[in-house]
Amino acid sequence: MTAVVDTLRRAWQNPRGRAGALVLAGVALAALLGPPLLPDPVAQPDLLHGVNLPPGLGHPFGTDQLSRDVFARVVSGARVSLAVSVLAMALSITLGAAIGLIAGYWGGTTDIVLMRLVDGALAVPRLFLLLLVLAAWERVPIGVLIVLIGTTGWFATSRLVRGEVLRLREESYIRAAEALGAPRRRIIFRHLLPNTLGLLLVAATLGVGEVILLEAGLSFLGLGIHPPTPSWGGMILEAKEVLVTAPWVGVFPGLAIVITVLSADLLGDALRDSIDMWRA
Amino acid sequence: MRRWLIRRTGQAVITLAVAVLLMFVLMRAAPGDPLTRLSGDRALSPAEIAVLRARYGLDQPLLQQLGAFLQGLLRGDLGASIEYGRPVTQLLAERLPASLLLGGTVLLVNFSVGLWLGSRQALRRGSAADRWLTVVSLIGFATPSFWLGLVLAWLVGVHWRLLPPAGMHSPLLDPGSGFLANGMDVVRHLILPALTLSLVSIAATMRYQRGAMLDALRLPYIVTARAKGLSDSRVIWRHAWRNAVFPVITLFGLWLPVLVAGSVFVESVFAWPGLGSLAAAAVGNRDYPLLMGASLLASSLVVLGSLLTDLAYGFLDPRVRLS
Amino acid sequence: MTHWTPRTVPSPLLGAGLAAALLTAGHRSSATAQSASSQSSIVIVTGQEAPMPIPTLMEGAQANVANFEIADQLFLRLAGLGADLTTAGDRGFVPLLARAWTRRDSVTLVFQLDPRARWHDGAPVTTTDVLFTFARARDAQIAPRTANLLRHVVAISAEGDRQVVFRFSHPYSEQFYDATYHVAILPAHLLASVPATELARSEFVRHPIGDGPYRWVRSVPGQFIELTANDEFFLGRPKIHRVIVRVASDPEARMNLLLGGEADAMDNVPPPLSNIQRIAARPELRLVPVPSPALGYLLFNQRLPGDSNRPHPLLADRDLRRAITLALDRGLLIRVVLGNYAEVPFGPTSPLLWIRHGAPPPLTQNQTQARHLLAAHGWSDHDGDGVLDRAGQPLSLRLNFPNTSAIRRQMSLLIQEQLRSVGVRLELQELEAPVWVERRKTGNFDVDFSAASLDPSPSGLTQSWSCAGGSNVAHYCDPMVDSLINRAILDRADPREAWHAVLRRIEDDAPAVFLYAPTYVYAVNRRFRDVVIRPESSWLDLWRWSVAIPTGSRETGY
Repeated sequence: MTAVVDTLRRAWQNPRGRAGALVLAGVALAALLGPPLLPDPVAQPDLLHGVNLPPGLGHPFGTDQLSRDVFARVVSGARVSLAVSVLAMALSITLGAAIGLIAGYWGGTTDIVLMRLVDGALAVPRLFLLLLVLAAWERVPIGVLIVLIGTTGWFATSRLVRGEVLRLREESYIRAAEALGAPRRRIIFRHLLPNTLGLLLVAATLGVGEVILLEAGLSFLGLGIHPPTPSWGGMILEAKEVLVTAPWVGVFPGLAIVITVLSADLLGDALRDSIDMWRA
Repeated sequence: MRRWLIRRTGQAVITLAVAVLLMFVLMRAAPGDPLTRLSGDRALSPAEIAVLRARYGLDQPLLQQLGAFLQGLLRGDLGASIEYGRPVTQLLAERLPASLLLGGTVLLVNFSVGLWLGSRQALRRGSAADRWLTVVSLIGFATPSFWLGLVLAWLVGVHWRLLPPAGMHSPLLDPGSGFLANGMDVVRHLILPALTLSLVSIAATMRYQRGAMLDALRLPYIVTARAKGLSDSRVIWRHAWRNAVFPVITLFGLWLPVLVAGSVFVESVFAWPGLGSLAAAAVGNRDYPLLMGASLLASSLVVLGSLLTDLAYGFLDPRVRLS
Repeated sequence: MTHWTPRTVPSPLLGAGLAAALLTAGHRSSATAQSASSQSSIVIVTGQEAPMPIPTLMEGAQANVANFEIADQLFLRLAGLGADLTTAGDRGFVPLLARAWTRRDSVTLVFQLDPRARWHDGAPVTTTDVLFTFARARDAQIAPRTANLLRHVVAISAEGDRQVVFRFSHPYSEQFYDATYHVAILPAHLLASVPATELARSEFVRHPIGDGPYRWVRSVPGQFIELTANDEFFLGRPKIHRVIVRVASDPEARMNLLLGGEADAMDNVPPPLSNIQRIAARPELRLVPVPSPALGYLLFNQRLPGDSNRPHPLLADRDLRRAITLALDRGLLIRVVLGNYAEVPFGPTSPLLWIRHGAPPPLTQNQTQARHLLAAHGWSDHDGDGVLDRAGQPLSLRLNFPNTSAIRRQMSLLIQEQLRSVGVRLELQELEAPVWVERRKTGNFDVDFSAASLDPSPSGLTQSWSCAGGSNVAHYCDPMVDSLINRAILDRADPREAWHAVLRRIEDDAPAVFLYAPTYVYAVNRRFRDVVIRPESSWLDLWRWSVAIPTGSRETGY
């Protein structure tokens, strides 16, 4: 436990890590507290003269095709996008790490069965599974959505982790630990997991960005957030057709995604440093 | 080794078979139907629908349909597409070259340029170059492919008119105008979609390679080697790669299906005549035979990717006991 | 150790940059080289592929607009619809394969084939071809859709090589339309030996041979179809020599091809409105409005979703349906989404249809009246949440719409807001298209955002609005409407007035809110003259277009 606290403290002391954490916290805080102070993100105040207005005083990010305030929509869209991406990503990374560690370390039949299952899961297009859900639910709740994304997103991660573990378990220090009779749990949590953390952090960073866009794709299938509730990915999809004539409608939610992913990456990189120090 | 390969191939075939079965069932269980779809706006009478169902064998019990599909599969016949009215194998064969070309180009770029940049970043960690590459590659990654594709198509194809904004061949170019002219024509059309797809995905190879290389550079003997003043390329190519190569191999295996699946968004934004857009349309039409054919192709590559990955593990690090 | 900074261009990128420079240089030169030879060619960009452009035998999924539009360049009907698209009687119809026709009695029509008509392989078009084609078309096993459309035709016979006789089961106003519109003639000498089931794999599909103004050259799958002028076309030699129909399913890709100078014409400029402005800003392009047979409407389910035996708790009530209609400002919806390119329909019809002319104007928005109507039925906001309620039940409905239509998506969002202002909650449910259709088909919806492509013939209205209609998914049933429709179909004196009575009755009953009848906007390069775009098949008259003699050099338009 103290190791975890130490790691986090060291990451916080790293200026880049702190910057990443602060930006993420800022975005989350804005999403929580911002909407009451801003215009209604779903209202269409002026359909005849207020459509696709460029950024200006009244509307810092401009307005969209239905005269809605893009700034208000970006801020309130953060709620859905952050919640879905962070939770779903956490779920899928945990599953991917666990399955990968088990398959790689236990090896043998366990490995064969797990990895062939993963092959099979990757081979069946994800879309089919998602469409099935549409058959089961008239209207899909957000919790189901998160679980859906999380439980169908870990396959690649598990293969990456398993590959690393296959190599690591042949390393002399792990062989030595085994020979000394160290319990499996200790080997996994003390040696294997920390050595795959770098990989997992990359997977997590990339995952956040992917999930935000995936959520939008799903709502387009009728699976995600329902209009008019804003989400970043959904805003980008809606802005596709005014890409050239009113770029601000899509650029600002796009920037929000980029900033989130970059902050997550900074934080991840700092965590990785701090874990390295702890291992050294 | 040979015994391992035979057993592993057997597993792959079984996996594929199970996946095919699962796809067959899932597809039919998904809401929607290839023929009711048609009656959305302009009604077909029940009698008309019955005739069409019989024509495509959709009136048979599910098990019998599956049997017919498997029998056809053994003969290399995937049936006729409901949407196109033509044999599925023909349709797939027509679209495969475009997919291989685009997917192959992207694989090549991501796994040469991407790996090289990722390694360099690791060696120069914290430098301005590392930071900039991180920012640029992640911006690319966080950008939806259709977005980047449309911007590039508009800027380069419409605004500057440097390259064609969409398609794979210029329709007005005489097909008999020689290999070179036709080849140049295809390459001109290829640049923008390949660039788009690479830019939005290269971050994955770069980030994983950077991470793996950072892990490798931490190893004591490599720290020693670098301290002795060994050049970077020597450090990478003599020592570190062996420790950093596993994620790359896994990633390559995972990426292999891009050869046939491509990217639906990029294909449609650039009107690239690949399999991805064909398969996406088949989903929207619930064109079962075409969908099965396209998925079968993609699934085979998924399974093949996994097989090659395992093979490469054993080959590159003999210590890895392959069970 | 070399210090690596971003200023040193990595070698692979440098190579790519050089290659790019070479390639773009090639692009420029080939563009100018091509423009000379391509002056009499046209590149049309469209959204859907035409994998099987064989008329009459396209069934099921293949009976789509893309196939029809290519087929119409290759194959001819006996006669064509006139400019006003009247389907009653034979007024306005123009001769094609048939150069003349006569009526023998109230159930018999006689057609004289034009002796000049030839297939692209040189063989003459004869009565054998007509009989062969109609034999296939009337076989419900081969062509279920067409066979159903031809159900009133009881016999077709030949009198010599040039004369065909059609007999109908009873006298009705659209006999001529039925004999000519649904079927284009196929070459018996090439197809008689091909079993209907083998057609899809036959050489004929890969290389169709027709009798129309254009001949088949090649198809490059997923990209384009190339046609060339039939210089021996007996109705006149086409002036545009080469026709390329290019496919790009993505609307933005189509815009890029057009604006990038890679296409000369585009059917149906995709939303949003700004695309029309972008085209209007181009000096070389012209916008051509084309009345469309399309109609968008909100369909109210009369029955409980999922249980068609019980009435819908809210929507079975005519006054509620009317209140919703009154609450909507359809003019505003159209202005925001479609600009000047649509009008509010009167009943389920479009300005394109002959029965629409002279019909009264539709209801206009009146939210006060809507509120009164709702209040009179006990709806009021007791709990103060902004949504009306009655006996604890909120006035809440769900609107299903497909993910394939940008127009319907935008309109749904606007409608939601307009209804919110009278206290009606409308939940939006966007659905993947096949799922949307399934829920629609099975009556699993409150309100469905439908879009129909109307037949030129008003008899199609029975499908959706009569009690036993095949596509009456909302279970709308008004015996009065049924009897009015039957009267109109048989009326040979003044069918238009009879159809107006049908429309008035449907408007009053509000089984749906008829939202918009759009005008499609096409874009065509200005170098084409005599441009006529037909609503029933866009490029039908292409062979009559001409090309301006170019003055000076031109960069675009190849």
